[in-house]
Amino acid sequence: MSDHGKIRELLALSAADALTRAEEEQVMNHLRTCPDCSAEVDRWRLLAAGMRRLPTPQPRPVIVERARAQAAIRLAEEAEHRWHRIVMMSVILFAWAMTLISWPVVKLVSGGILGMLDPGLNHAWIAFAIFTTIVWASGGAAAVFLSLQQRRERSLA
Amino acid sequence: MGLESEVAQLQRGDLDALSALLARYQNRLYRYLLRLVREPAEAEDLFQQTWVRVAEKIRQYDSKRNFEAWLFTVARNIAIDHLRRIRPESLDEPIPGMPGESPGTRLPSGERPVLDGIMDRERSGRLAQALELLPVSQREVLTLRFEEEMKLEEIADVIDAPLSTVKTRLRRGLDRLRNTLETNYPGEVWQ
Repeated sequence: MSDHGKIRELLALSAADALTRAEEEQVMNHLRTCPDCSAEVDRWRLLAAGMRRLPTPQPRPVIVERARAQAAIRLAEEAEHRWHRIVMMSVILFAWAMTLISWPVVKLVSGGILGMLDPGLNHAWIAFAIFTTIVWASGGAAAVFLSLQQRRERSLA
Repeated sequence: MGLESEVAQLQRGDLDALSALLARYQNRLYRYLLRLVREPAEAEDLFQQTWVRVAEKIRQYDSKRNFEAWLFTVARNIAIDHLRRIRPESLDEPIPGMPGESPGTRLPSGERPVLDGIMDRERSGRLAQALELLPVSQREVLTLRFEEEMKLEEIADVIDAPLSTVKTRLRRGLDRLRNTLETNYPGEVWQ
């Protein structure tokens, strides 16, 4: 493609201010010596100016107000979810802490101070481990069930 | 209150910041959505969905990123999903024919054109109609460049495409737009 042809390809982008500085300089240099391209770029500039002057349609005020109300509700819901997550995490951490602390207590009660030093498992330990597992599994299942129910209710709302 | 502080306050759940951002962007965002989907009722629905999505995602917004680009990306994703649902064929396809009165060119109620402006208004109407005939991919680049006055890098960010793609769509869109106008309204000056 000749220089003229290459420059002509750039004229629309020049009118859109979408060329690099080097490309723009190249176009400007060519325009000084080529009346044909100069007239062509003027036509592109008129079109670009027309595009920039298109009227701005506006949303109806009731729609803006509705968008604001819906977004405000969602902001409040998001804040509530974050708070729920914090509470849930705190409860879980507390429950784990209590569980871990209660193990040596059970061992102390079931075997005395010497029993705490005994690394072996006795019946009380095994019963406690089973009990803890059941409690945690039930709690986890309840939390998952409640979360799914809440999500379903939210999607229906 | 500046844009950055409005965004930061919205991230903390401030409703005044929400109102300020809505006031700041309502016309531009609605115009962009209307250019994409062309139907005012759909654009209004998407406008509301966009602000709800903004409320959902604002805490994930990275303040190092340009907020406008982020906001228009949110709106674009919602609009593109909508267009894919209602018009599953390629979004790069042009719209055939020349429509009658274009919803996208309607002006706010209460605005009455003065005599001197009638010709300008008619030309703008025709230009907006021709714009609507472009494929969505070209139409959105033209509206982001000329109406939103975004830099090419910002447009690339919004449409998640390389700069070269933005330039190609811009050039092809302008070519097609001019061709449509010159075919339908020969001799008209499009300023």
